[in-house]
Amino acid sequence: MTRHKRRRDPVGAACRVAALAVLSGFLVFTAYLGFAASRGVGIDVLRGASSGAVDGAGMGPALAGTLWLLLLTAVLALPIGIGTAIYLEEYAPRTRVTAVIESVAANLAGVPSVIYGIVGLALFVRALGMGPTILAGGCTLAVLALPGVIVTSRTAIRRVPEGLRLAAYGLGATRWQVVRNQILPAAGSGIVAGCCAAFTRTAGAAAPLLVLGTATFMSFAPQTPAHPLTSLPTQIFTWATRSQEEFAALAAGAAIMLLLLLLIMNLISALVVRRLSGAAR
Amino acid sequence: MSSPAAPTDAPVLTAERLSVRFGRRVALRDISLAIPRGRIVSIIGPSGCGKTTLLRCFNRMNELASGARTSGAVHFAGMDLYGPDIDPVEVRRRIGMVFQQTTPFPKSVFDNIAFGPRASGFTGDLQGLVEEVLTSVGLWSEVADDLDTPALELSAGQKQRLCIARTLALKPDVLLLDEPTSALDPEATARIESIIRALSPRYTIVIATYNRWQAARLSDLTAFLDRGELLEYGLTETLFTNPREARTESYLTGRTQ
Repeated sequence: MTRHKRRRDPVGAACRVAALAVLSGFLVFTAYLGFAASRGVGIDVLRGASSGAVDGAGMGPALAGTLWLLLLTAVLALPIGIGTAIYLEEYAPRTRVTAVIESVAANLAGVPSVIYGIVGLALFVRALGMGPTILAGGCTLAVLALPGVIVTSRTAIRRVPEGLRLAAYGLGATRWQVVRNQILPAAGSGIVAGCCAAFTRTAGAAAPLLVLGTATFMSFAPQTPAHPLTSLPTQIFTWATRSQEEFAALAAGAAIMLLLLLLIMNLISALVVRRLSGAAR
Repeated sequence: MSSPAAPTDAPVLTAERLSVRFGRRVALRDISLAIPRGRIVSIIGPSGCGKTTLLRCFNRMNELASGARTSGAVHFAGMDLYGPDIDPVEVRRRIGMVFQQTTPFPKSVFDNIAFGPRASGFTGDLQGLVEEVLTSVGLWSEVADDLDTPALELSAGQKQRLCIARTLALKPDVLLLDEPTSALDPEATARIESIIRALSPRYTIVIATYNRWQAARLSDLTAFLDRGELLEYGLTETLFTNPREARTESYLTGRTQ
């Protein structure tokens, strides 16, 4: 037997370098934020008010606002988005109308988020009279998340083996029984992973909320969706545009909090995906 | 094989001038044939001749494919399966189908069998039903101790027997088998064939198969399809020993035209 000769793999090496570069970039970025935040941000920043004054300024109301926005987005975008994906894949006949809906959803997923802010301002804030509230923000972010939820859910549903569908129909299952008992369990992990990616985009979006109009001062955390709009990304933007150095530290602290929030969301999603993948196997 | 079907055997399924199109492509053209009750009928023919499409006409599976249009009629138990008041879901519960690809659901053996009965609102003894159908395909002794075993962990032959069993759990009148052994080794194939023979007095069985020898071994009647047309249909022995059409003879002898 001849000695195994190591083959050169320039593509593999290039991919390794790219992955290392990205990972290092993330680490440097996070370390920079941590360093910036360490200069003047304590734990009490979580309780402080959104304020234009450095003393006592904190991210409590903004954090609560973001949690409200995420909840509203989930409640509004998930059922509508996943429902639309199920309809398009499993119920709708392949006509020009469905082809147009599919194309619109795919294109909307690439539209800049600020455009959604303009639509939200015209529709939710003004036409529907919601004003610049958390409810209007949640509705706008739900519309922003919808195309992503639809596209990724459809992809996950489409990846369910055709044989599984046929077998279920062949056993006299109704369309809904096929969807509930076969399609959704098999596509569940893909849908959750896709929705989480769409949510990550939404959670970090500042532009559409800035267009809607956010509160610059808020002394207590919002209790209901009718509360004036505030969120972590817009708070970061507000603080980052201030000249005083203390605000830069606050902005970095809020950015770390946002990253932490996204990390938790992704971890939960990964756990759910793993559980669903195991169940579907 | 049971005794040859007499021409006077009462048909359970009758196709009349049946045609199927997928968009512009004509898959079946003007097919008329009668499937006698309690017999095994094979549909043979070259790849792409329309065997699967014809089989799927008998339980309205074709309409799940986009662009499929069926014309003509299929009569079953005195009704036109394509009539306006007929629910395709109900049709599929009475005319069961096993597919070419063995596709157990990613669930336990028990839940695979129970899927059809549950979907149709079965309220009887599910445990007893599972045991009965698994026994009829010779799988009970192999899985009785652990019905919670994931079906995907079974061997290929066991999976196909499970697929037959879960169709039998619906107590259908007719069993449609689409290339039931195409993915199996000779031993598993022989086992499935012996199960089909054992089931034949109780069920009317229609098999689409690319394996002409399987058709010769198993069926009472054989239909030969070519390019979407039914060229010949009759007693298996007659068709194999004295085919009427030159194209049938070419196919059976392996000569190309």
